[in-house]
Amino acid sequence: MKRILALVLALTMTLACATAFAQASGDPIKIGLTTVLTGDRSLEGEYATNVVEIVTEEINSAGGVLGRPIEIVIEDAQGTDVGAVTAWKKLAADDDIVAIISSDSSNDNLAVADLAKEAQILTTGQGSSPTLRDTCNENPWMFQLRACDVTLCEALIAYAVEELGYQTFAIIHETESSSVDQAGLFTSALAKYGIEPELTLGFATGTKDLTAQLVQIQAANVDAVIGAAFSDQAALLLQQMRMIGMEDMPVLGSNGFTDVVTIRLAGDACEGVMAATHWAPSTTNPKGAALQAKYKELFGEDCGKSAAQVYDHILVICEAIERAGTTDRAAVRDAMNTIDSFEGAMTTYDCTTNGDCGRGGLLVVVQNGEAVVLDEIISEK
Amino acid sequence: MNLQLFVSGISMGFVYGMIAMGMVLIFRSVGVMNFAQGEFLMFGGYLCYTFNQLVGLNIVVSMILACLAMAIVGIIFQRFVYWPLRTAQVRAIIVSMMGASIAFKEGAKLIWGSMPKNADKLMEGTIQTASGAFIQKQYLAIILVAVILMVLVYILLEKTFIGNIMQATAQDQYTASLMGIPVVLSISLTFAISAVITGICGGLLAPIFFINTTMGATAGSKAFAAIVIGGFGSIPGAIIGGLIVGLIESFGGVYISSTYQLVIIYVVLILFLMFRPQGIFGGKIQEKA
Repeated sequence: MKRILALVLALTMTLACATAFAQASGDPIKIGLTTVLTGDRSLEGEYATNVVEIVTEEINSAGGVLGRPIEIVIEDAQGTDVGAVTAWKKLAADDDIVAIISSDSSNDNLAVADLAKEAQILTTGQGSSPTLRDTCNENPWMFQLRACDVTLCEALIAYAVEELGYQTFAIIHETESSSVDQAGLFTSALAKYGIEPELTLGFATGTKDLTAQLVQIQAANVDAVIGAAFSDQAALLLQQMRMIGMEDMPVLGSNGFTDVVTIRLAGDACEGVMAATHWAPSTTNPKGAALQAKYKELFGEDCGKSAAQVYDHILVICEAIERAGTTDRAAVRDAMNTIDSFEGAMTTYDCTTNGDCGRGGLLVVVQNGEAVVLDEIISEK
Repeated sequence: MNLQLFVSGISMGFVYGMIAMGMVLIFRSVGVMNFAQGEFLMFGGYLCYTFNQLVGLNIVVSMILACLAMAIVGIIFQRFVYWPLRTAQVRAIIVSMMGASIAFKEGAKLIWGSMPKNADKLMEGTIQTASGAFIQKQYLAIILVAVILMVLVYILLEKTFIGNIMQATAQDQYTASLMGIPVVLSISLTFAISAVITGICGGLLAPIFFINTTMGATAGSKAFAAIVIGGFGSIPGAIIGGLIVGLIESFGGVYISSTYQLVIIYVVLILFLMFRPQGIFGGKIQEKA
């Protein structure tokens, strides 16, 4: 009996020690994150803050990075490029910060690109514009983790023309810069098939009544509408389209059109909408599915794109620090360039040849209130 | 197509007109343009959402409760944003109101979160006309409610004792106080009515345009344009100005440029400032002063 008791005690102690060793200890390794906590785009900050809680708990409970816990220092980018620069500078001034994740806007990322080079601090941009991709390919301190919008827009148009047989299109876009860029990419992708949009219409960010735009699209009698807008404007557009008699009009959109927020706001009006996107909660990616499950369990709602990409940015940077074996900024940057075939929640990352790391996206369609994956999009390096 | 544009233009015009009317009421009462008026719109929308979606009340009951709550918001606003600075320079009060606008937006975000919200419609569905135009019934509800509100405000200001008190205070606070008029009460009432009128618009827009913390900014700027076009300080001018802005936005978006809808409104605003700075009803106001 005593021997059994001693064995149980020994096992308990061993387990306790093992758990203790797995816990990270020492000074935390700091990673900066600029995100929008106030202003128009503050939902981005809500997602980012939530996912930081998840990822730090995951990493730290698994032993941390280099045996030390990680700490994400968040600064408010305020939804403006000026705010993004101020927030970035504040983080960069802290010598303990190893790398910085810049907010979910290519404009914000481009605004800090030269600063990152001057200060020699690894910065990852959450934007996905081709301009940011080109900048990241030239600036050794900047990295773009999401697959470039060119890849996604081309994939969506290819599907619409080749698989669905659509031939006539109207493009409607928000006049905010990234939506204008995406509208341009859709136009270029259509041009590869010798198709010119029947009409291209813009609307200022914040426009509530889109009747003026929609009656023109209705009159154009096209096969499909292509939209480029952020989620709340995309939801408004879809809802108003369906209300003025365009119930059956196929809609292809930028990633904002199948976002968690859009689907929730637009409801039935979002059914059948297709998009090429970087993230969908229904992803089959194992890390992505695990993240979605955990996010839903903790916060009671689906994981948004902004959350998923912050999650991946932190994982990739931690991987670079681990590979560098040090928190020296230059060494971490060099290690970043060795990352190849790294599986994140959104996609696979390959930063070996340049700063454009994200390799893929998803072609999705909204069915029964959920973005269902039709196909995976893989881009060539 | 033109009928669709007309209905949406008129209904949005009434919304801008109602916000403008709220701004004019405060301007006439205390001589300062309320730069947080758009946030009354936002609060009205959120309160409607709260009573309708969170508490589960009928939308009509929700709007009535939201009105009562907005009256309190207006009085609190007057007490804490305007009243402590009433003897200060106008610019100090304007800065105070702008600060309140930011505080309201961020406060709303803390209370209701960043996710846009919506509420039930007063009138569900659409009407299809013989010409094939689709008109949302909610747009018609907006027009109906706006007309009823305008009539009520007219009766209140022109036909009631309280209205006389409010007008007397608006004309000359000092003389009004010498005549025994409760100036504080009168100004509080003006702020409350202004908040209620604008808040109702928030509730009417909530189901079709969603509620978010920045919804008041654009609507507020268009209401300001409506005031300038209609004539500074004129209540009928605010309504007419609002309708003009709504129709310009709607038809200008089709016949001139959809991308530059807002620019077209401001071009008209600049033209008014250049050629008729007193606005459409400006003459009458000058005589009154």
